[in-house]
Amino acid sequence: MGLSPVISASSSTSAPDTRGADLHAGYSGSSDSHRLDPSPLRVSLTDVQKTFDVGRGRTVQALVDIDLDIAEGEFVALIGPSGCGKSTVLRLLAGLDTTSSGEVELFGSPPEELSRQHRLGVAFQEHALLPWASVSSNISLPYKVAGRSVDKNRVAELIKLVGLTGFEKALPKQLSGGMRQRVAIARALVLNPSLLLLDEPFGALDAVTRRRMNSELARIWSEERLTTLLVTHDVDEALILADRVVVMSGRPGKIHHVEKVDLPRPRDTSVTRTPAFHELVDKLTGMLDGAGEDS
Amino acid sequence: MNTRKLTKASYMVSGVVLLVVAVEVIARLGIAGTAWPSLVEVYEFLGDERQRSTLWRNTLVTLESSATGLVMGTIIAVLAGAVSALVPILRPGLDRFAAIVNAVPLVALAPLFITTVGREDSPAVVAAMGVGFVVFVSTTSGLANASRTHHDVLTVLGANRFRRFARLQLPQALPSIVDGLVLAAPTAVLGATIGEWFGAPSGLGMMIVSAFQSANIPQLWAVALSATAMALIAYFIFIAVQRATVRRFT
Ligand SMILES: Nc1ncnc2c1ncn2[C@@H]1O[C@H](COP(=O)(O)OP(=O)(O)O)[C@@H](O)[C@H]1O
Ligand SMILES: [Mg+2]
Repeated sequence: MGLSPVISASSSTSAPDTRGADLHAGYSGSSDSHRLDPSPLRVSLTDVQKTFDVGRGRTVQALVDIDLDIAEGEFVALIGPSGCGKSTVLRLLAGLDTTSSGEVELFGSPPEELSRQHRLGVAFQEHALLPWASVSSNISLPYKVAGRSVDKNRVAELIKLVGLTGFEKALPKQLSGGMRQRVAIARALVLNPSLLLLDEPFGALDAVTRRRMNSELARIWSEERLTTLLVTHDVDEALILADRVVVMSGRPGKIHHVEKVDLPRPRDTSVTRTPAFHELVDKLTGMLDGAGEDS
Repeated sequence: MNTRKLTKASYMVSGVVLLVVAVEVIARLGIAGTAWPSLVEVYEFLGDERQRSTLWRNTLVTLESSATGLVMGTIIAVLAGAVSALVPILRPGLDRFAAIVNAVPLVALAPLFITTVGREDSPAVVAAMGVGFVVFVSTTSGLANASRTHHDVLTVLGANRFRRFARLQLPQALPSIVDGLVLAAPTAVLGATIGEWFGAPSGLGMMIVSAFQSANIPQLWAVALSATAMALIAYFIFIAVQRATVRRFT
């Protein structure tokens, strides 16, 4: 039972050379039928493999054959059991890590290029706010990093958008966990990034706060319409927010299923209580369990 | 609450009184030899206007050397710490250099400085040496305190190494740097005094040497008290700075 993924992993790594050559020759010859044509208006991972060196000659195959496109303005959620490589995918898109083979392109450029142009927004499970800086200074940080003058109106607008009016001068330690995550998300949004990357931003919150944050993020997203990748292991969260849900399975991490979500927006309780929503939750949860067993 | 404070204060007062009486009794009985001070004699020594002004003048000299050493040592150490954070290939070399410098006793370095930087400046330089190591270690450890996620967020936002240093690592390191200063401040006084032993024209270290040569026990202990008071005051000032920094930066 545990053998088959290992075998498929090693067989898929045996041909990275030809794949690499193919890529350098250009995309036109790609035989991958389910992949859309490369476009400068798209975020894409093409034939991505990622192997981690864990020392003493041993390696961990974290990702195999990852092919994923995100259209401009699309919200994609990435779900999967813990350790299946979701964060690794996000880190590749953020330019925090490089592929072992394969290509990552954000709107026609490598990720580092977008981050150099200050066009990426990111929020992690740990809020990573600067503890000595107030809410508004934390949200202003991307301006300072970019060497631009702080647009006070934009900062005020975001504070309002994430519902923290009145807390401008507060320090992170004076805020609740949910409020800190809102600041982190406002910081990610302030420069109007071309791509927003969220790695389990609500993972440390209690269930009630988490749902509230989900509907807030849905509202914010409907106003800003940013190309977004959300990593989560919460099926409901993925279905409330995403246009498409990508299900990964683990060891080695690969894409197991892609679900297009056609539910109407906003997906408030009138939607989340429908049988259609529940069917999707059951279907994807079943896949997660299957994927979990797999590992 | 109030009685507890009172009890604590009374313990402290009786402790000090006991210590003073014990020191005086040992001195009077001559149990510990002639170098053991009689506090009454030390007090009488300080009662003399001329002696007192000499002591004060030399205390100020040592204070200036200590302060200069503290500032110089801190600047050099923080700069070295910054270089080691910004240029990773230099890190192991700088760490090793700091460890070697620290392994050489200040007493051994002092005569060397007399011949290189001169009598006047060597107390400050010896103080800076002692300060430098402590502050370097606390700076490098403080600069490494920022979490991986903080670094990642700034990197994704497009911050290069220098911006990350200025916006994240340096403010994050401040409490740790001030921790270093708390330890370094008394070290500066010690370093300056040792630096003055080897032929400095003035300062508490010079007074210790002259008191020792003339077997002037009250002067010896008056100087020691003065140096101790200076080190303690410096320590408590930096403890206050430390509290403020921790409140502001964590
Ligand atoms: N820096 C790393 N070094 C070694 N192994 C890693 C590293 N990062 C991730 N991995 C491994 O890659 C796999 C996927 O990790 P990750 O992407 O964090 O999973 P997820 O986010 O889905 O929980 C795991 O087996 C993990 O141990
Ligand atoms: Mg993860």
